[in-house]
Amino acid sequence: MKKTDPSQHQSNILHTSVFILALLVLLAVLVFSVLAAVTFGNADLSVRDVYSVIAYELFHIESLAAYKEGAVHDVVWLIRLPRVLLALGVGMGLSVCGVVMQAIVRNPLADPYILGVSSGATLGATLSIMLGVGSFLGGNFVGIMAFAGAIVTSFAVMYIANLGGRATSGKLILAGTAVSSVCSAFSSFVLYITNDNSATSQVTFWTMGSLAGADWSRVRVILPVILLCSLFFWSQFRNLNLMLLGDEVSITLGADLHRARKLYLMISSLMVGFAVYTAGMIGFVGLIIPHVIRILFGTDHRRLVPLAALLGSVFLIWCDVACRVILENAELPIGILVSIIGAPCFIYLLVSRSYGFGGGK
Amino acid sequence: MEIKAEDIKVSFQAKQVLRGISLNASKKEFVGIIGPNGSGKSTLLKCIYRTLKPDCGAVYLDGLELERMSVKSSAKKMAVVAQHNYYNFDFSVREVVLMGRSPHKKMLERDTAEDFRIVEEALRTVQMEAFADRSFSTLSGGEQQRVILARALAQQTQALILDEPTNHLDITHQLRLLELVKGLNVTVLSAIHDLNLAAAFCDRIYVMQDGRIVSCGTPKEVLTPELIREIYQVDAEIVRDSKGNMHILYT
Repeated sequence: MKKTDPSQHQSNILHTSVFILALLVLLAVLVFSVLAAVTFGNADLSVRDVYSVIAYELFHIESLAAYKEGAVHDVVWLIRLPRVLLALGVGMGLSVCGVVMQAIVRNPLADPYILGVSSGATLGATLSIMLGVGSFLGGNFVGIMAFAGAIVTSFAVMYIANLGGRATSGKLILAGTAVSSVCSAFSSFVLYITNDNSATSQVTFWTMGSLAGADWSRVRVILPVILLCSLFFWSQFRNLNLMLLGDEVSITLGADLHRARKLYLMISSLMVGFAVYTAGMIGFVGLIIPHVIRILFGTDHRRLVPLAALLGSVFLIWCDVACRVILENAELPIGILVSIIGAPCFIYLLVSRSYGFGGGK
Repeated sequence: MEIKAEDIKVSFQAKQVLRGISLNASKKEFVGIIGPNGSGKSTLLKCIYRTLKPDCGAVYLDGLELERMSVKSSAKKMAVVAQHNYYNFDFSVREVVLMGRSPHKKMLERDTAEDFRIVEEALRTVQMEAFADRSFSTLSGGEQQRVILARALAQQTQALILDEPTNHLDITHQLRLLELVKGLNVTVLSAIHDLNLAAAFCDRIYVMQDGRIVSCGTPKEVLTPELIREIYQVDAEIVRDSKGNMHILYT
C-alpha cells in the first residue's frame, strides 16, 4: 500500500471543518435572526418588553408575570413569534425542496414549483376566492384549496410522467409545463368570466405570498413537518448525489433511483403544499438559495441540504421583517420583496464567482 | 469473477438489435468485443451492466442470475466505465470518485478515512491526483474518462465492464489505461474500436455484426485479413514486429 499524501488528507479535513463551521455559524445566525426579528414591527415595543414576554411564556418566570397577558403579550406571543417561526419553516421548506427538485429533474433551473404546483395552487385559490368553492372548510379555506390544488397537480404530473415507461427528468419537466398551462388557463378563465375586480386583486395579492396569516396552530403543523422532511432529505444525500449522475450511472453504482424519485417527489409536494397553504406563493427562494450554497460550498448534498435549509430560513425571516417595516402602516407582499432583494444578490454572486452550473468556467 | 451471458435478445420497436448473444468471460480474463458501429456492442454491455433489460436471456455473475441480485450487490461485483458522463452540476473530481464507494455504504453510513484513502489511491493510479479538487466539468474529455475509471477502481470490484474506454484519450493514455486495466488482474469485458489495441491486450475477442456473434477466439485466431474484410469492408495485412506482437495494417 502506498503512503497517503498528507496534504490530500489535510484538504479533506479542511473541507469538512469549513462545512461544520459554516453550519454552526448559520445556526447561530438563525437563532439570532429569530430573536432579532421579533423586535421589529408596526407596534412600537421595547426590546425588553419583547424578551420579557418570550421569557415568561417559555419558562414561566414569576417575576415576569406582568407580561402574562395584555396587548404587549398578544403582539409578541400571538402575532410576531408565530410569524417569524412560520417564515423559518417556509424558507427552509422551499429551499430544501428546491435542492431536491433540481436533483430529481437534473436541471439547475428547477424550483419547488416545477411540477405545476404554483399554477395548481393558484387555481385552487382562484376557485375558492372567486366562486367560494370549499368555503365549508372554515377559516383558511383559500389555503386549504390551494394545498389541494398543489397536491393534485403534482400527483397528476407524476402520474403522466410515469405513463408509458419510467419517468425521466425531461418527461417530468414537460408534463409539469403542460399541466401548468392547463391550470393557469382555467384560472384565467374563472377570473375572466366572473369579472369581479376586488376578488381579482385578492387573487393577485394571494399569488404574491404573505406570512401575515401566521398563528400557532399553523406553526404547530408546518414546523414539525418541514423539519422532519428536511432531516429526511439530508439523510438521503447519497441518493441525491447519484441522481445528478443520471439513472444509468447510478444503477452501475448500486442504486436504482426510480422508487426513490417517486418518494422524494411525494414528500416534496407535501412540503411545498404546506408552504403554499400557510403563506401562498413565494417564488425565487427555492431557486436561488440552493444555487447560492452550491456557488459557495459545491454540489455535494451532504453539505448542500443542511446549509440551504438554514440559509433559506434566515433569508425568509429577514425578507418578512423588511416587508413589515418598509412601508408605513402597510405590508409589502413578500413575493415581491424576495425578488427585489434576492435577484440582484444572486446576479452579483453569479457574476463574481464565475459559476457555470457545471457548464465549464 | 466469471461473467456469462446466455441467449440475450433485445429489440427496439421492430428492429432486433441483439439476436441471441451468448458469451462468457472467465476469471481474470480480458475479453474484447469488436464490431462495426451499430453492431450491438453497447446494447449488449448495457444488458450486462443492467441499465437495459433484455427481452429474453439471462446474465450470470459467478453463476448467480443477475436479475435475482440487488443492484447494490451487483455494483459490488462489477464496475462500469461507459460513455454517458455529461453532468449538469459541478462536482469536484474527488466527489465523483467518492461516489464509487456508495455501493459499499448503508443508508446513513458516513464516509470513513478508509474510503478517502481508497479514493486518493484510485486517483493516483490514473494519475489524476493533482486534479482532486478541480471541478469535474472543467476537465477535458480524456481527463474525465480517467476520473470515471478511478471511480470504477474505487468500487473495488472483481470485474470491470468497459464501453470503448479509450475514446477521447490520447495515445499515451490509451495504452496506459489498458495496461493499467490489464494489470488489475480482474475480469474485464470491453468493447474496443481499435483493432490493434484489441490485438495487443485481449485474451479473447468476440466479433459482433448485426446483433450476432460471428466469430470468437484469441486475437491471432480471430483477426485475419478475411474476417476484417468481411466485417469492415477494408483490406488489411497482419504483420509481426520484432517483438512478435501482431499489428494490423489497413492497405
